[in-house]
Amino acid sequence: MNLFAATRFAILPVASLGASWIAVVAVSFLLIRLVPGDPVEIFINHMNVRATDELIAAYRTEWGLDRSLFAQFAVWLQGFVTLDWGQSFVTGQAVTAELFPRAGWSAAIGLAGFASAILVGSGIGFLAALQPGGLADRLSRLFAIGGQALPAFAVGLIVLWILAAELQWIRPFSGGVVERLLLPIALVAFFSIGSISRLVRAGFIEVRSASYMRTALAKGLGRGKALWRHGRRHAAIVLLAGIAPDLAWIIGGTAVAEIVFGVPGLSERIVAAVAERDYPVLQPYIALIALWLVLGLRLTAALRRSLDPRLDLGVEVGHG
Amino acid sequence: MADVGTLTLRIFMLVVLLIIAIGFFWQPHDPHAVDVSQSLQAPSLAHWLGTDHLGRDLASRLIVGAQSSVLAIAIVLVSSIGIGILAGAAIAIGPGSISVILRWLAETVLTIPTFVLALVLAALFGAGLMAIAAALIVVTWAPYALSLAALFDRLRAEQYWQASLAMGSGLPGAFHRHMLPNTLPVLGALAGADAGRAVILVASLGFLGLSADTGHPEWGAMIHEYRMFLFSEPRLILAPVFATTVLAFLLNRVLDRNADV
Repeated sequence: MNLFAATRFAILPVASLGASWIAVVAVSFLLIRLVPGDPVEIFINHMNVRATDELIAAYRTEWGLDRSLFAQFAVWLQGFVTLDWGQSFVTGQAVTAELFPRAGWSAAIGLAGFASAILVGSGIGFLAALQPGGLADRLSRLFAIGGQALPAFAVGLIVLWILAAELQWIRPFSGGVVERLLLPIALVAFFSIGSISRLVRAGFIEVRSASYMRTALAKGLGRGKALWRHGRRHAAIVLLAGIAPDLAWIIGGTAVAEIVFGVPGLSERIVAAVAERDYPVLQPYIALIALWLVLGLRLTAALRRSLDPRLDLGVEVGHG
Repeated sequence: MADVGTLTLRIFMLVVLLIIAIGFFWQPHDPHAVDVSQSLQAPSLAHWLGTDHLGRDLASRLIVGAQSSVLAIAIVLVSSIGIGILAGAAIAIGPGSISVILRWLAETVLTIPTFVLALVLAALFGAGLMAIAAALIVVTWAPYALSLAALFDRLRAEQYWQASLAMGSGLPGAFHRHMLPNTLPVLGALAGADAGRAVILVASLGFLGLSADTGHPEWGAMIHEYRMFLFSEPRLILAPVFATTVLAFLLNRVLDRNADV
């Protein structure tokens, strides 16, 4: 591979990905610094110590707040990358020590919820396209309407009430695996299945009328087999083009699910940090979310391009 | 059949709006009146939905609790439709560079998770309606701008638009006369979904314990306050949960003219 190709395919995407991430993080960093309320004073007030000028000055120097904004950001960025995320204003503990054990739960719920939504949604979408107006089609429409119009936390609370209070199948907040993983994953997935199945359905439907489908059917292939064999690539492209809102939903959905079902994930800590304006805890959380979104968007775009090389030539493929 | 369904939904919506409107002037009981001797009463003629652990009338608190949502809906819709129309017009009619930048901006903000943005804004500016409204507006103007830009683009090819310009009407006048009326169906569909999102977001943050004013009842805050009664007195939780769900659902369905996804 020559140098030009290497730059085009390996270095450029990574560089632009890094640039987008740093841009988002820098904006949030700036916003946090612009807000009235000196973090040192907030911290000292939390410790119930009288804020003398010397104490404030000492902390300002220790946290680097006496330096320029740009230098502060450089210091923070270096700390973030080397996994030195500073200390919580409120608990005084290292942020990494507080967040890392929790991150596992959140990642498990978010990723498993996303994966199951794609699996189930694609299945329903395929069946819906196979028989428009059929059972799967109606189910997918129901999921889509529910996913848009119902509040996630309300659905979670009603499920919890039915399972724990009415049917008494689970013991609430006992920390069992059903409650800490299965139910949150199902809740996150439920709200994405609708939109995913509609996208997949639209992708398959577009292929139904293509001439190569008629050829495949004329050759004697069954309807389902032909649609799957010749439509799945197009359906995947349509899905990838419209998946961005679901990438974002996974974040919010995981947060809601964790709180409804009492999972000891990131969200509980983040909500506490919001209420107490605990910026050293919030800043890495924002940076992680930005990383997930930027990575997700880039990856889906790259996947689309590899599935459909025409996109590189600037030919937009229609999608519903 | 479909028409009967639509009619039922509309009547339902009307009844809900009427209850909310009346709630601004009158409630069955004072929603703030604490009376511990009346605590946790079952629903009766005097207390339609019973009372909470402090003896406050649940129905009255529910009716007053709608007001935060209504306020949030109003702020969000007015701002995002206003910004959306301006930005959509700028994308469709404006000079190329502005059009490109605005389109990029609209497509970018669409990927921001509203819920997380609301959390961050609540941390920055204090929890409250303003943080929620700001988080929604940052994201919701974009779909208006993009779909209106597409609509304006199409309308620009219409003869009545070109005729109106040829006859010498100014751009703002022609825009007001020929383009705005055409935007109503698009606005209706988006506005319903956004109003629903506003209701859900207000309640979600309240549910997390991040509601603005703890003295004023709000559905999410009520769920947060009553959360330990989920198993002993589920009606305390289920009432605001159903209220949120019904309002969000109705807003989504009634305003959406092309409801068949």
